[in-house]
Amino acid sequence: MNATDWAILMVRDAFWAAVAAAGFAILFNVPHRTLAGCAIAAAVGHMTRTLLTQVGVDAQIATLAGATLIGFTGVAFARRWRTPAMVFTISAAITLVPGVVAYKTMLGLLELTRIDPAQAAPLLADVAVNAARTAFSLGSIAVGIAAPSLLLYRQKPIV
Amino acid sequence: MSKSPLSREELRDIIDLSLWVGQLLLQHGADAERVEETIHRFGTALGCDWIDVLVSPNVIAITTTSGEEFRTKIRRVINIGVNMFMISAINRLSRRVAAGELDRFQVRSEIERINNTPPLYNRWVVVGMVGLACGAFSQLFGGDGPVFAVTVVASSIAMFVRQELTRHFFNPLLVVIATAFVAGVVAATGVHFELGEQPELALAASVLLLVPGVPLINSAEDLIKGHSVLGLTRGIVGGLITLAIALGLSLALRLIGVDTL
Repeated sequence: MNATDWAILMVRDAFWAAVAAAGFAILFNVPHRTLAGCAIAAAVGHMTRTLLTQVGVDAQIATLAGATLIGFTGVAFARRWRTPAMVFTISAAITLVPGVVAYKTMLGLLELTRIDPAQAAPLLADVAVNAARTAFSLGSIAVGIAAPSLLLYRQKPIV
Repeated sequence: MSKSPLSREELRDIIDLSLWVGQLLLQHGADAERVEETIHRFGTALGCDWIDVLVSPNVIAITTTSGEEFRTKIRRVINIGVNMFMISAINRLSRRVAAGELDRFQVRSEIERINNTPPLYNRWVVVGMVGLACGAFSQLFGGDGPVFAVTVVASSIAMFVRQELTRHFFNPLLVVIATAFVAGVVAATGVHFELGEQPELALAASVLLLVPGVPLINSAEDLIKGHSVLGLTRGIVGGLITLAIALGLSLALRLIGVDTL
């Protein structure tokens, strides 16, 4: 790919991630003034993940990086808009959910109820691989957006 | 720092307000740490010496202490659904209370105002935007124009069905199955007529409106931070919702007679 292709890919990616995050933000009833923040956090995080996977980084590591960026962006926006970071990070992190892989896991699992056991091995392997990818991507998302509070904003428990 | 002891009446009022705040947070998708800290900050700012908080999946119990006196109360909590406005508004309120701007009577009317605020977005705006969001996902997955159109239609209709069923108090998991089924039927029709290059992407994208993102993210966060019971419960809820999506979707696929994978 040349530079223009890269630019188009990234802009498209950021745009659709922003739209998806705005939709979920509205579903989650976020305050009006924070909508733009949700969209921007998602665009930044998702674009980072796409960029990393394009250059050959594992999907789960790339998801962790994207989610961590969303986490820190959320903290910065939380200060700016005086509202909890989760308002931004949750809507934005939804865009990192591995939809297609999760979909294959779910349907593969149900398909197992119908298949002849003698022929089940390849399907079983598929389900196991997809399940592992889904689980670790979801774990990466959660750890990533919790990263700021785990690494920087530590405090003595008050309760 | 020693505070003047509160009367039984004042203590009763403060425990009531603190519980109410905790209930609103837990009901609308806050993590355990936020619930505990907010309750604690609230009660101590209003004049208690100390508050002990127990957050469990369906109940919050707190004990307020002031001088020689203490009171304990529990409140049942049900899960209503994510509402970020509520979490944001309670956060602002708790900051004002901590700064000593409000007394307990003003706090009560403020909580009432927050509790009675109607949804910020009109239901049709939600339907349209959720449809668009799922359409955006189909683009992120690499779908083309027709796939985008099928996804938007499928998930908008599904969102409408979800609102209607929820309004009539159907069991939440049943709502998920029915919603996934509706989205699946519309998207599978697209597959049947081979609309677009990879029509099965519409199937994956159009059920994403149901994705249990908040339970799963909160579950992981609670587990990481040591709130194991709440974390496990939320994880199981997230898992059940995922299973319900799969059931609804696979019913739709068999009905339309589409085999993908």
